[in-house]
Amino acid sequence: MKVLLFACCVVLFNAPLTSADLRPPTKPAEQKVSEPKYILHTGLEITTDPKAYEAKLQIPQSQLQNFRAALDGAPGNPTVVGGIAVSAPRTIIAGLLMFLAVSVAGVLLARSFGRTQKAIAAIVLVVMVLGAAAIITRGNAGPPGSYRWRNLPQALAKGESTTGGVDIEVVPDDQLSGRMRLIMPLKKQTAPGEE
Amino acid sequence: MQSAVELRTWPTAGAVPSARVFVAIVVLCTIASAAFASWLPLQVSIVTVFLFAGPHNWFELRYFLMRLPVRFGRSRNFFLTAFVGLGVLTLVYVSLPFIYNASTRSEEAWSTVIATWNTALIIWLSALIWLRSKQKSRTNWAWLIPVGLALCSLNWLGPNFFSLAIVYVHPLVALWFLDRHLRRTRPAWSRAYRRCLCLLPLVLVGMFWQLSQSESLADNNGLFWRITQHSGAEVLPQVSSHLLVSVHLFLEMLHYAVWIVALPLIGQAASRRFWNVKTVPVARHPKGFPRLVAAVFIVAFVAVAALWFGFSIDYATTRDVYFTIAIAHVLAEAPFLLRMI
Repeated sequence: MKVLLFACCVVLFNAPLTSADLRPPTKPAEQKVSEPKYILHTGLEITTDPKAYEAKLQIPQSQLQNFRAALDGAPGNPTVVGGIAVSAPRTIIAGLLMFLAVSVAGVLLARSFGRTQKAIAAIVLVVMVLGAAAIITRGNAGPPGSYRWRNLPQALAKGESTTGGVDIEVVPDDQLSGRMRLIMPLKKQTAPGEE
Repeated sequence: MQSAVELRTWPTAGAVPSARVFVAIVVLCTIASAAFASWLPLQVSIVTVFLFAGPHNWFELRYFLMRLPVRFGRSRNFFLTAFVGLGVLTLVYVSLPFIYNASTRSEEAWSTVIATWNTALIIWLSALIWLRSKQKSRTNWAWLIPVGLALCSLNWLGPNFFSLAIVYVHPLVALWFLDRHLRRTRPAWSRAYRRCLCLLPLVLVGMFWQLSQSESLADNNGLFWRITQHSGAEVLPQVSSHLLVSVHLFLEMLHYAVWIVALPLIGQAASRRFWNVKTVPVARHPKGFPRLVAAVFIVAFVAVAALWFGFSIDYATTRDVYFTIAIAHVLAEAPFLLRMI
């Protein structure tokens, strides 16, 4: 019984940890046309070219197709998570089967009460694996995106490239006066002795 | 003894190579397979399937016949369940493309069909495991029930991912067969082999590190498109199809190497006379079926020749047909592997 209670506690406490860093779900009804519209997250490399006459923005063809699909409201390339359980009946069946699996596992665990320590270790291990998988697949695991851009000024000064993540947003024309804007997550660096 | 024939009884002849030679060959094959699969995945995939798909099925069939008891005895229910399930699941699987072409159902309905077939597969495997566990009183396989239920649940969440998992896991089953076979016939090599298996995840991580950022393969013709789809390019669009095809091809090459080279060569007498019907216990036994086994061998050989002919005439269509029918050998591995555990 103690093992079962412990298992329930571990699972329950693990849930908020794994979903704590998730982006809040976007409600389509609340998303107004006049507000920036998040399309997708992709990679960006900022580099210098001393021979270039003009600044250049190079976009892979596949990414452009994704932009177009997102603007048209059509589904672009679906994400891995997006391919899972989009139908209610399948989700219900999966839920029932998972309920049965956990129930039967609990009964078997209770019957093997003599091997408590091994059982607890197994539970912790399974929950850790599930939690890690959930964080990796559902959350933005790892350091914040700004971490990769922290050395951008120094890299630009040295003529080196910097790579990191970037969110693509579509913004109404009146907010940008027809220009593109690249917002970098950099804090103003204070010189030594400067407040 | 009505259970499967003990492989220790195979006659041995000639000098037995050392475990070091065996390890060197395994490591060399693994690294060479990974290198070729990463270098030219599409081209090597075409050549590999053309050359080895049919022969590996022939050797697999022969291996299963060698593991088949003359009389089922206490294992009657096990083999009955195995063969009935194998036949029904294969027939349904082969008919799925016809159902897809004939029906105008939605993608959602199609996912449900796939999930149902996968569930039937898991139920069949669970039944086999349960029947096998009844013959092994010392082992407790009850924990496989929640595992089976959890697998069913995951399957219903993402049937396409589950099907893709079968594509990638199936080649690894051959490595398990080899492990069990070595434990019985070459215990001295077993430990060395298991150490070699540690190389596998390292090679896979290396391939992932090397190819994850590579551009997807150009699937601008029907054949290349089929190969990338088979490796899961549609199910995992974020992953480079170069990585997917390379990893799948690497595993397939290991799979073929185990069935065509490793398993026949471990039994030395069999390696020299693998065409000889009398090397199969079911045919050699006084109450056996030598003519039936000979007929099966000949029909299988004709099928291999027909497959080569088909590949020569229309590679893409033959590949589609082969990988649909080949589900039978994927399923057949389960009961024979269970008999070795």
